[in-house]
Amino acid sequence: MRHDMQSPRRMIESSFMDAGADGSAQVDKELIAALGKIVGDGGLVSRLSELKVYECDGWTIEKSAPDLIVMPRSTEQTSAVLRTLWDRGIAFVPRGAGTGLSGGALPVNAPVMICTSRMNRIIAVDSADRRAVVESGVVNLRVSDAAREHGLFYAPDPSSQQACTIGGNIAENSGGPHTLKYGVTTNHVLGITLVLPDGEIVELGGAAEELCGYDLVGAVVGAEGTVGIVTRAILRLIRTPQAHRTFLVTFEDVESATRAVSAIIASGIVPGAIEMMDQLIVHAVEDAFHVGLPASAGAVLIVELDGLAAALDDQARTIAAIARGAGATEVRLAASDAERGALWKARKRAFGAVGRLAPNYATQDGVVPRTRLPDILRVINEVSGKYQLAIGNVFHAGDGNIHPIILYDERIPEQVRGAIDAGREILAACVAMGGSLTGEHGIGVEKQGEMPLLFSPGDLIAMAELRHVFDPAERSNPNKIIPSAGSCVEVAAPHRQVPI
Amino acid sequence: MASRPAHSIWGRKIVEYDLLFDCVHCGLCLEACPTYAISRAEMDSPRGRIYLMKALAEGRLDLDSDAVRHLDACLGCRGCETACPSGVHYGRLIEDTRSYIEGNYRRETPDLLRRGLISAIFPYPARLRILISPLRLIERAGLRPLLNRMMPRSIRSWLELLPPLASTQTSASISSPAPSSSAQTVVVHHGCVAQVLARSEIANAEALLARAGYRVIHLDRTICCGALDLHSGNRARALDFARANVRALAASGANAIVSTASGCSTAIAEYGMLLKDDDHELSEKARLVASRVTDLSNLLLKRLPMPRSFSCTVTYHDACHLAHGLGVRDAPRELLRSIPGLKLVEMVDADMCCGSAGSYNLTEPEMANALARRKADSTIATRADYVVLANPGCEFQIASELRRRGSNIRVMHLADFLAMAIRTSDE
Ligand SMILES: Cc1cc2nc3c(=O)[nH]c(=O)nc-3n(C[C@H](O)[C@H](O)[C@H](O)COP(=O)(O)OP(=O)(O)OC[C@H]3O[C@@H](n4cnc5c(N)ncnc54)[C@H](O)[C@@H]3O)c2cc1C
Ligand code: SF4
Ligand code: SF4
Repeated sequence: MRHDMQSPRRMIESSFMDAGADGSAQVDKELIAALGKIVGDGGLVSRLSELKVYECDGWTIEKSAPDLIVMPRSTEQTSAVLRTLWDRGIAFVPRGAGTGLSGGALPVNAPVMICTSRMNRIIAVDSADRRAVVESGVVNLRVSDAAREHGLFYAPDPSSQQACTIGGNIAENSGGPHTLKYGVTTNHVLGITLVLPDGEIVELGGAAEELCGYDLVGAVVGAEGTVGIVTRAILRLIRTPQAHRTFLVTFEDVESATRAVSAIIASGIVPGAIEMMDQLIVHAVEDAFHVGLPASAGAVLIVELDGLAAALDDQARTIAAIARGAGATEVRLAASDAERGALWKARKRAFGAVGRLAPNYATQDGVVPRTRLPDILRVINEVSGKYQLAIGNVFHAGDGNIHPIILYDERIPEQVRGAIDAGREILAACVAMGGSLTGEHGIGVEKQGEMPLLFSPGDLIAMAELRHVFDPAERSNPNKIIPSAGSCVEVAAPHRQVPI
Repeated sequence: MASRPAHSIWGRKIVEYDLLFDCVHCGLCLEACPTYAISRAEMDSPRGRIYLMKALAEGRLDLDSDAVRHLDACLGCRGCETACPSGVHYGRLIEDTRSYIEGNYRRETPDLLRRGLISAIFPYPARLRILISPLRLIERAGLRPLLNRMMPRSIRSWLELLPPLASTQTSASISSPAPSSSAQTVVVHHGCVAQVLARSEIANAEALLARAGYRVIHLDRTICCGALDLHSGNRARALDFARANVRALAASGANAIVSTASGCSTAIAEYGMLLKDDDHELSEKARLVASRVTDLSNLLLKRLPMPRSFSCTVTYHDACHLAHGLGVRDAPRELLRSIPGLKLVEMVDADMCCGSAGSYNLTEPEMANALARRKADSTIATRADYVVLANPGCEFQIASELRRRGSNIRVMHLADFLAMAIRTSDE
């Protein structure tokens, strides 16, 4: 069963037709008053031009503005807001910073958006137990900033960490370059305060390391906002490594770079990160940030070792030898913290640098077994030729998590179509190679149509049933992840099925 | 490849349409935006504002009071340009948008009046001098607090921003040696408001430059750099001011151009772009002048004989256009650190706007005050004796908020601070 979920026809024009004469959306005045009483006037967005700004997240191919946005400041306010919506049968979509790349925060049959941007307090940093208690709207990087003076940091480091929220990270089970050694978000969340769609506040997990019973925190992490709103989390903090050795390794082609990656892993050394960038990305990044990447390289790796200073030099020698054995043309060690910082900054801003090459891009996110990296890159190359769209590759090579970046121009309809189809073909190839549809960006609306490639109808039903434990009426972020009958409607016309 | 429309068919020519596509909607700029930090809503963020511009350009949105409000609320601080990996030319986008708004949107009368007043007075030092002269008398009689109390709130907040006028009269606090004939030459652009309200900064900057071995060239008369107009959408007059400045600065022959107000130096550094469509001679001169702009701290670093010692704790606030416009962050800090006995402590979000932003604190007092409070919080948390910065606007804004809190942290321009440290250690 394949649903035509991602047709550009779904690009929804927000309907100014039903605009009130005074420029406010036609939302029930009584509802606005009730919600305003909870969050205050400043906590509501209801003007049409303001709502427009929220019509997409980092996935810009599809657009749909909410009818109303509520920005609660606390768990209690969130609970009262959801209760109010529940009583009226209104569905909602959670949103953090809107950096998501799979349309997770796109309202589909969800008239109200609940934005966590005002729940951004760091409540406590406990250095003895190495925990942080934060509200869900706290920006990822701020957690590490607050932990720094205790010699601690928060390990999951998505490239968007300067902006994305802990709530969004939890919903997408986000990873980052250092996932290779430290794991993804789910390995770092110990407890969660969740407001269920009917307004009930539940505490899952807790500060203790090992809890008995079913892992409900694990069920909420990665649920993409379909089980309610996370308002607080207890996060694990990690001791800042004493030292780093960061290499920039140059190769003539992706094949030899991949060989190096496999050989490094096989050696038993676990680097903090192994990142790869292909030629197109290297060019873009170098043009944008001038960090001295070799322009002639077919591929570069950033390999980072971290740990006790005493152990690192031996490991560093091993890594350098392995890289040369695999055909590296240059192995450069960052000489200072500043150089290391510049390398990472360039890597983390690679997406943006690519943005300088074309008006729009779509970042894909798939996983293949590490050894199949050369194969998938060959497929990507073919796909790029077939659709006449440039595709760059930057990825977490150590985990086999690829990020093909497909360049297009939204003003040219066939390019939009091409970008969508190219993405699909690449994902199908990932699955065929024994991989997965997403490493870290989530399914959202973007990859819903591909879910049946990976899961049987039985699997999908089981997932839906798990979701129903938390959200039986599907009020929280409806029509996401699981391709259901409800979501397969062609949303060509304004989609406000739920009248409010 | 299929062709693409240069404009949307219904569109407005509000900004250069292609520039809008530099923004890839990634959101990485959100936290760097001071107005987003306060309102936490995306209409008050760079991404949101660019989206509004785009919707306006494509005719998907009316130029209504909602859209204008959020575009007005932009400080023009350019924190977003630093944060953006995609190289969005936000400064140009907002300047062009403002120019479009002024031409196509009818503001409410009080707003028009306020903006008209600022525009008629600030760029002209002679007018500003006349306007504040009665205030000088009142201050001398010790009646300023009383006057402030008597005024309606809107005027009072303007008055409270003004520094003690006695302090604005000081001349250089250190002497300067005669320059050698082969010395590099520097012009200190005196700005418009600065030459009335921030004279010690200018005098000290010139004295420090002389001490560092430069020959300071004086212009006969300094004309406003045009930044104020550019930021408020009065492009035509901005261009006139820019042309006059290009002629004067080019004629001076100075090797380097600096200003004690970083908004001015950044504006001059962008003259090349601004006047690129002028006739060849002028546009070439503009490029030349622009290329000579640098910051005082760059010129002084490693050349200024430092005081023997000056024991105190200092925190440094990055003026927006210095950090985000000219990219100057390290040189002022290094200068401070090179003073023996001085301890430099970083404040949280040192490069986040204090809300001053040219005349922003006069047109958008609510947001400006919220930002001033935030800045005062992070300043006070450092427990420093001084907060040093390199822009008079920030100086007045932060000082006014610290005064209100009864804090005894002293706010000083880098030029004043260095001069004081040198004088104290010489004595
Ligand atoms: C330039 C760039 C680089 C990126 N790099 C990475 C990377 O390296 N690794 C990676 O994993 N991702 C990456 N991403 C994707 C994105 O940043 C992550 O998915 C991030 O976790 C989203 O956080 P957010 O706060 O922006 O969430 P949003 O985009 O606002 O929302 C994402 C999803 O979470 C839900 N949600 C948000 N808050 C809550 C809450 N409090 N409770 C319940 N549900 C909630 C939303 O409904 C939505 O489904 C990148 C994105 C960009 C633009
Ligand atoms: S302005 Fe830059 S950082 Fe902000 S959303 Fe656009 S591309 Fe991203
Ligand atoms: S210039 Fe400053 S206030 Fe304006 S959008 Fe950029 S960061 Fe925000």
